Amino acid sequence: MTENHHFLVQQVGKGDKQALAALYRAYERPVYKFIVSRLNDPHEAADILHEVFMDIWRVAASFEGRSQVRTWIFGIAYRKVIDAHRKRSRVTVTDEVPETGDVAEAADAGYAAKQEAEHLRFCMGTLSDDHRSAVSLAFYEDMTCAEIAEIAGVPEGTIKSRLHHAKKLLLHCLSGRIRGRAVA
Amino acid sequence: MTRSRDEMELDLAFLVNGTLSEAEMAEMEALLAEDELLAAERDALATIRAEMQAEEIRTPGEFGLARLMRDVNRDAAAPAAAETKVVALRSRTWMWQAAAAVAVLALAVQAYLPTTGAPQGEGYVLAGASAPGALVVSFAPDTPELQIRDLLVGADLEIVSGPSALGLYRLDVLDGGDLDTATAALRAARTIVESVENAEN
Repeated sequence: MTENHHFLVQQVGKGDKQALAALYRAYERPVYKFIVSRLNDPHEAADILHEVFMDIWRVAASFEGRSQVRTWIFGIAYRKVIDAHRKRSRVTVTDEVPETGDVAEAADAGYAAKQEAEHLRFCMGTLSDDHRSAVSLAFYEDMTCAEIAEIAGVPEGTIKSRLHHAKKLLLHCLSGRIRGRAVA
Repeated sequence: MTRSRDEMELDLAFLVNGTLSEAEMAEMEALLAEDELLAAERDALATIRAEMQAEEIRTPGEFGLARLMRDVNRDAAAPAAAETKVVALRSRTWMWQAAAAVAVLALAVQAYLPTTGAPQGEGYVLAGASAPGALVVSFAPDTPELQIRDLLVGADLEIVSGPSALGLYRLDVLDGGDLDTATAALRAARTIVESVENAEN
């Protein structure tokens, strides 16, 4: 599969539109999901997805195959979303883990049984873009730490740290929402 | 164990997504057997991952691909067009792509909607058969808004929807205006308007 995608990128670099279409069909869904998870705006996400594949079309000839095609494409998407955030001048949401709250309580709060997709969406939305990206790539795409680090252009330790903080924030947020609902 | 608990805790997400090596995984499992809090966190993360992977999402699909091919063709055609000034040929290419996109979209809507129900939240605005407007128009990508406005005001037209993802606008004639005259005005503005079609409502 990886070799096949590498071949497709080479063909795109030679101007093969059918290869681009094949690459689009292979990566459209995961890349779009990744972008939406960071922007929470399907319209803007569709535009950025489009820009990602236009970039692929324009720069495929310079792809040297040093990285996997998947990390290369996600890397383009990663940077496009950062640009979009900059254009929006979006205020960074919390990076601080609140002092109150108990992770054990969150884990035991029945979350596993409740399947609260809505709560999860809300709580993902409270994370910073760095945290959200790491969680998305780890859990939507099941990427290795090394792959995520390559996409984000940071050391593996940074990714582990981001995921650790994101986990605490997510569990704290979920705990609070589930508690609030139980009280209500 | 060769690593501290704190070091291993940082790998919890990768235990959950199954990307640790066998040795690392065995080391983590040994720790989790002794650490209830960490085991509870592992379970919570596993639930979060399962929830995320099960999430259904509507992607641009073939519609997005048609849009991509349209712009790729434009990219490829741009240098040639600059040299030869063959604007009409480019417009036909664009029209072919738009028509193909609409046809693909109609198929996709028929195939997709009955199985998925109503979309959640804001969906995509599609130039479908029930959309308002008498004309479907696309403008040259670099046209300033002022030029579009002047053209529409001068032709007694207003935008009633758009742009779609393909860059299509639906227009209506203002009260007192004449559709044929307005259509002729649009078609005459070849440097601004790339395509003009009657809406099929």
